[in-house]
Parts: sequence; C-alpha cells; structure tokens
Amino acid sequence: MSARLAGPAIVAALVVVPPALPVFLVTTLTEVLILGLFAMSLDLLVGYTGLDSFGHAAVYGLGAYTTALVLLHTPLPLPVALAIGAAVTALIALPIAWLCTRTTGVSFAMLTLAFAQLLYAIAYKWQSVTGGSDGLAGVPRTPGPLGMTWFTSRLGYYYMVVACVVGAFLLCRAFVRSPVGTALLGIRDNERKASALGYNPRVYKIVVFVVAALVGGLAGALYAPFAGFASPDLFFWLLSGQVLVMVIIGGAGTLAGPIVGAAFFYLLEHYLSGITDSWALVLGLIFIVFVLFVPEGIWGAVRRGASVS
Amino acid sequence: MSARIGRRQFLVTGAAAAGVLAAPPILTRVWAQGSGPIRIGVPTAVTGTFAALGAQVVRTCKLVQKEVDERGGILGRKVEFLFDDTQGNPANCVRKAQEMVERSQVNLLTGIMASSEALAVSAKLQEWNAFFLSAINGAGELTAEKYVPNFFRANTSGPMGARTIALYLKDAPEKTFYAIGLDYAWGHSSVGVFEKEIQRAGKEFTGKVFAPQGTKDYSTYITKIRQASPNGLYVAMTGDDATAFYQQAAQFKLGDKLQMVTELVDILNLKPAGDATLGLVGSSRYTSSIDTPENKAFVKRFEAEVKDVPDTFDGEQYQALQVLFRAIEKAKSTETAALIKAMEGLEVTSVKGKVVMRECDHQGAQQGFVVKAVKRQGVAYPVPEVIKTYPADVITPPCRKSSYS
Amino acid sequence: MELTAFLVTQSLNAAALAALLFFISIGLTLIFGIMRIVNFAHGALYMLGAYTGFSLALLTGSYWLALVGAPVIVGALGFVIEAVVMRPLYRREHGAFLLVTFGLALVIGEAIRLGWGPEPRRFALPPALAGSITILGDPFPTYRLFLAVFGAVVALALWQFLERTRLGLLVRATAQNAEMVHALGTDVHRVRAGVFALGCALAALGGVMAVPLVTAYLGLGVGVVVDAFVIVIIGGMGSFVGSIVGSVILGVVQTFGNYYLPDLALAAVYLAMIAVLVFRPAGLFGQRE
Repeated sequence: MSARLAGPAIVAALVVVPPALPVFLVTTLTEVLILGLFAMSLDLLVGYTGLDSFGHAAVYGLGAYTTALVLLHTPLPLPVALAIGAAVTALIALPIAWLCTRTTGVSFAMLTLAFAQLLYAIAYKWQSVTGGSDGLAGVPRTPGPLGMTWFTSRLGYYYMVVACVVGAFLLCRAFVRSPVGTALLGIRDNERKASALGYNPRVYKIVVFVVAALVGGLAGALYAPFAGFASPDLFFWLLSGQVLVMVIIGGAGTLAGPIVGAAFFYLLEHYLSGITDSWALVLGLIFIVFVLFVPEGIWGAVRRGASVS
Repeated sequence: MSARIGRRQFLVTGAAAAGVLAAPPILTRVWAQGSGPIRIGVPTAVTGTFAALGAQVVRTCKLVQKEVDERGGILGRKVEFLFDDTQGNPANCVRKAQEMVERSQVNLLTGIMASSEALAVSAKLQEWNAFFLSAINGAGELTAEKYVPNFFRANTSGPMGARTIALYLKDAPEKTFYAIGLDYAWGHSSVGVFEKEIQRAGKEFTGKVFAPQGTKDYSTYITKIRQASPNGLYVAMTGDDATAFYQQAAQFKLGDKLQMVTELVDILNLKPAGDATLGLVGSSRYTSSIDTPENKAFVKRFEAEVKDVPDTFDGEQYQALQVLFRAIEKAKSTETAALIKAMEGLEVTSVKGKVVMRECDHQGAQQGFVVKAVKRQGVAYPVPEVIKTYPADVITPPCRKSSYS
Repeated sequence: MELTAFLVTQSLNAAALAALLFFISIGLTLIFGIMRIVNFAHGALYMLGAYTGFSLALLTGSYWLALVGAPVIVGALGFVIEAVVMRPLYRREHGAFLLVTFGLALVIGEAIRLGWGPEPRRFALPPALAGSITILGDPFPTYRLFLAVFGAVVALALWQFLERTRLGLLVRATAQNAEMVHALGTDVHRVRAGVFALGCALAALGGVMAVPLVTAYLGLGVGVVVDAFVIVIIGGMGSFVGSIVGSVILGVVQTFGNYYLPDLALAAVYLAMIAVLVFRPAGLFGQRE
C-alpha cells in the first residue's frame, strides 16, 4: 500500500466498519470524531500560528447553541442548521479575533479565556433564550425535504459526522498548504521577519482565528443534535483546557495529531471513569508521565517510530 | 508538514485504535434484562462539586442492595447497581446513561444529580426506551412543561418544598420577607414560587437577590438584606454555597434580626456551618426525624451499617427505590412499557409516609415536612426536627403544573 | 442603613475580599514571573492548603498552627514537585507545563477526595477572631478585619523581601534575565525551586484563610484558578504590584458591582479584564514581552 493511500484507507475503514460495530461503539466513535474536529480546529491556532487560545470552548458552545436554537425554533433541516451554526460562530468570532489579536502570548490566551467566560455568563443568565443553567434539551434532528431522513438515525448521523470531519480536514489541509498557511508558519517562527517580508501578521492572525472558529463552530454544531442538548458547560474554561490538552497530547502542528489526541483523551477518561472512581488520579499521572517521556505527542512518536523502521 | 504515512505506521495506529475500542465490552458481561439480576443504572456525581450528594446516593443504593439480597430479591431476582461518575455535568451524564442503556442493556435509571443532567437525559428516554425514576431532581418542569412518559419523580419537587414553607409561614409572626437564591434554574424557580405563595398568604415580599454558584464572599448580599431589614429571609441555596452563606450570615449576626427560612434543610449544610444554623426553619424533603415505623426501621439499619445519620438524599433515594421495586413486583417485569403502566397510580408507604405516583404527570404526591434545626444530645451539630407536616393534596401542584394558581 | 455606614461597611468588605483574592493570585504571579509558566494546579494547591489546615487545626487544636503549618507542608510538596516533574521540562515549550500542571491538578484533587472524603470540612476560629465588633450600629465580623490586615501584612512582608533582601534581588533578577543570573554564577534551578515552593505555600495560605468563610470543600479549587488568572492579567503577568492592584480592583468591582448590578455578577470580572487588556495588552503593571 503506498503512502498516498493511507488517508483514503482510514476514511474507507471509517465508512465500512461501523455497521458491523455494536451500537454503542458507533455512538462513541461519533463523539470522538466531533471532539477530534474540535481539537483540529484549535491546532490551526496553537500549532500552525503559535497562538495559544485558552478560550476555544467559546466556538464550540456558540456552534452548539446556535444549531440547537435553529433546530428547536425553526423547521429548517439539520444540514442547514449545522451550516448556520458554523457560520454564525465565525461571524461572532470576527470582532473577537480583531480584539484578541492585538495581544500575543499569555495575554492572548487570557483574553480568549475572558471572552469564553463572558459567553458562559451570557448562556447562564439569558434564561429566556438559552435555558439558563438547565440549557436546551430535546434538540431534534429535523429531517430535510424530499424525504431526506438518513441522517436522523444513529448510523446516518455518524456518516454525517464522518463527511463533515473529512471535508473539514481536506479544507484545513488545503488552507495550511496555501500561501496563507505558509505565511502563518512564518509568523509562528519569527513574527518580525514575517513583517519585514511584507506580511501583515495581524491580518493573517484574524483570518486563521475566524477559520478556526468556523471549523470549531461546526464541531459544536454537530454536538448539539448528537447529544440532543446544549448546556453552559460547553463554554466553560475546563473544556478549553481539555481541548488544549488533546492538541498537545496528540501533537501540535499537525492536523491528524489533535484528532488522535482527542480520541486518546476521550476514550481514556471515559473508560477509566467506568473502572475506578479515582480515574482523575490515573489520568493525571498518565499526563505527567506522558509529558516526561513522550515529548513530541502521540502522533509525533508514531511518525518517529515509522521513520526509524 | 509531511502527510506521508508509512504502511507499518498505519497498521500500528489502526490496531491500537481497534484495541481501545474493542477492549471494554470484554470487561463487562452483558445480561439481557428479563432474566438474571435486575440492573439499575446510577449515573451520579461521584467526583466534582456535587460529590458529597452523590456519595449519599451511592451509599444508600449499596445498603438497599444488601437489604434486597437478604429478603431473597425482587421477583426472585437479585438487584445490581451500576454506578458511574458524571461529575454533575450533563454531557457526561447523557454519555454514561447512554452507555448503560446501550452497552449494558440497562433500562432503569435513577440517582441523577443536577437538573440540567435530568432534563438532558429525560429528553432521550423515548429514543432509548429507558425508564428514569428521579430521587433528587427538583426542577418543576420535569413533570410539567417538559413532561415525558418515561420519567417519574418519587421525590418532593422544588415547587412543593417552596409551597410547604410558604404555607407554614402563613401563621408565623413575621410580616415582611426578602429572598436570596442561587443564580440558576432551581434558585429562580424556588424564589418565584415562594414569592407568589407568601403574597397569597397575605405577607409582604420586599425583594430578592441572586448570587452566582461558587460565590466566595456573600457580604454584599448580606448588606442588601440588612438594608431591606425584613422580618424573614427565604434562602434558596444548596450544597457548598448554602454552607458558605449560613456561615457568613452568622458571622454578620444576621440571624439576630430576622428569621431565616429555607426550601431545603440538609445535614450536609448544618454540619459544617455548625451552630450558625441553629433555629433555621425550612421545608425538608426527607429527615431522619420523620416519625413513622418504616422510617425508624430505616434509620436504625442505616446508622448501624453506614455509621452516619441518613440525610436528605439518602432518604429520597431509599424511597425512590422502594417505589421502583413495588412497581416491578406489580408489573412482574422490568420492561419499560410494563413498568410505566404499573407505576401510574401506584401507592406505596415508604419512609416518608404514603406516596402516590400520579398518572397525570408522574409526580409522586406526598406529604410536606417543615423542620427546625435544633440541638440534640450527643450530636455535635444542629439536627432537623419535624415541627409540622402538610398533607399531599395541599403541597402537590395541579397536574402538569409547576405553580399553584 | 445610612450612607456613611453603608460606605464604611462595603469598603471593609472590599478590603477583606481583596486580601482573599491577593492570597489567591500572588503565588500564581510569582511563579509566572520567574518560570514563565501558567500553573493550572494552583487551584488544587489552594484547596490542598485548606484541607491541610483543617487537619492541622483538628490535630493540634490551634488555628495559628494551622495557619503556619499548612503553607509549610504544601510549600515542601511544591519543592518536591518542582524537582521531580518541572525540572526536566525547562528546555521544553510551555505546552509541556500546561499538560503537567493540568495533570497535577487532577491528581491533587482526587487525592484530596480520597484522603478527606466528599464532605465539606471546617475548623473553629480562636475566640479572638470569632466574634464581631460594632461599626456604626451594625455588627461586623472580626475575622474579616483580620483578613484585610493580615493580607496587607503579608503583602508588605513579601514586598520587603523582594526589594530589600539579597535573595529577593536574585528572584527579581532571574525573572528579568535568567541566563544572565546563571552566567554570573548563581544556580538558577535553586531560585526557581524556591520560588515555586513559595508560590505553592502562598496558595495554601490562601486556602487556609478561606476556610472560615466558605469551608474546605471539593469544588473549592475550580473557580479559583480563573479568578487568579483575571487578577494577574489585570495587574500584569509577573508583576507583584500588579497583583495587589488587581486584587483591590476586583475586590471593589465585586463588592460594589454586585450591590448595584447584581445581574452582572458573573460577567463583571471578565468585562473588567477585557477592558483592561484592550487598552493595555500587557496589563496595568506588566511589561510588554
């Protein structure tokens, strides 16, 4: 099998295998892919541009709430609601990007955190629209016209998610390989030099911030009809911290790494907490050992292993 | 970035992923619900902010399992509880509950903690063909606006608690009331019901304020309350927030000038806040001082086995399980549809007295208790003592309503 | 309540809250200043301080011993943590620290649940601090006055330490330029270890100070990290004075803000933070990186 076929082979496996899996594994796989998409979007900022966002939960929450509201209050079908969720997130992200990119480093991280927490406060307080602390439950998967119902079933929704993740992955890959992507790497490695070469770093940062919001917003949008609800926790800083951990564990600066990191984090937490009440202790120790012994992330380690052989 | 992936590396990743996904089902054997033990899913908060409340649910379930074993099971079948940690987060709760339903073939759920969790799970019940019996969730809408046929509530709801204390205060000497609530759904609904009911009782309601969950410093709110100088203060707070508030209110000697009343009296708050809560009056969903033979037997057994006094959610979880078992016996089945049918109109005498699971909205109609925190010999902290009981028909709201008008 | 009494009470409340916030934030800013890392375990260490203080008070029967002992114990733990898990990472990017401190937070949090159980814990204050004094006709808790005064004393002592002692000079120099300090022949590792331990001890002190207000409970650490972030960012990352000013600003914003605009309580601090950062991206007293 040639290297070029590895990607298509993974996609083919994602398409062919699930009908043979037990139902709950399909559910698990769906959530893993949604989280993977979310982590991948953050890596556009962290890995490709060197912008450490501590508030990426903001776009997840925005996508989820927007889509949930559209599905609950309008007859629009699911695919349209997803598109609206992602688009609205990107739109709201634009002014936030403009403000946040005035700063760099830790200040940038904290400013993004502040905006995410502000949105958390709004989701919490604006009870008539957001349902307050109870959130919005019972989000339907509204079927489309002409009897388009395939995505309302568990497996159908899974394929919907696979399509979105693959599409977003290809889009992001094209983006990071485009001249814009090259400029971003230049900004990450040496912002002054990039400016001297005639790039305006701020503009590029705003662009990548909005693209990350679009993709992250899509992940949030996919989550709401998947789980059937949206709650303020989706904006909370803990989720922002967790997704950053996923990116670092998987390996920042790649598109596949964060998806692997998300799968690792999610499956580990989920299954550990089913085995022991002290899952947090084990998970924490794993992180610490991981940092000390796998410095380049899972994906980096896998690639290194491959190149050695 | 290089996107080249070698063949060997792909196989390694693929195998690892398959391993992670495939391993867990091997760990748990799968029983079909219908023969073998009756399996009850308890996705509750073992860690996180609600951990102390989740611990009550878990210890009571374990005690009940032992009791059932001793009397030879339900329908001759053993009872097994599946506990899993939700951290009080609805996303985790839906995931864990779904796993119980789909991977472990459990269709009975109970012990869910936060109302956001309960609402999220409740919306999924029909899709899962599962049955959820609330022992804790107070949100009025669960049996009103958000009613679903697969949800039942064996516990006293938030509006019922607020109604009980408002009825009690009707005859109290205090004339003006102010309210402080936690700034989330339950706090708002509790204060809302209290406001209406106390005005109906002919008293003056002078204002309200809401504090966010996790507030460290209540001094500003205490200043506000002082300025309003009411005769009575209604407190709609739970958990660690309530403890912190009582403690700080006592430091400001707030209780010297007004009577504090609350919707929920928990030993969990009385214990750490200490004498700060002496004299606190409130409604109680359950207290070990309820004077029925069933309760005395439960308290005795509980104290002997758990080495602690049963608190609010111990009693509520116990009652819910008694209701559930009676329904299973009546249905002679644990199938969801049969159980719903058996549950509707079911009458059980439990630790809190008689409970009737109403057919119209699936709320358990039951008595309301007013308690006062008093000193008891041999106990280091104030304990709740029942001072008045209200019958079910005056405290249970009209069908599918969360208010009383 | 008349206006004077209102203003006096509220100002005292603000001062007490500022002191509490100062204890929460100062350790974080010291550690950031010298190590350039954001310590996500800060909230867990703060909580550990509260629980350790509870146990010490229970064992010794003395509040004062708990007040001194908990920071010492947690500080010693910080020393060990620095040596075992931090030291191998200094040449790595800060993502490594994020992961490690995130992991530490999980480990410490769960260790507390296993060690002390899920129920909230509290210790009694000594009689001298437990009562209240009358200010313009209304009782005011003595403990809050103590909190405000003690916060000022600790701030002053730390300031003197940083400004007037040789060790303090070394700490400031390392924060400015670690390589230069190293070139001059000082062991930077020991300075870092010392500051990390000090930061942990101060977090623990904050935890002990908070117990009489909120008890020691399992959710104690969750919100604290974010509060500390906000203060440190408003004041300026790594700035000692900034941490003090940030605490006072937040104390005043919360005390008076929650009074006049209670609906904004949840959002007010973040709005304040955004406002500051938009105009001064490095914080009020921070230096541009």
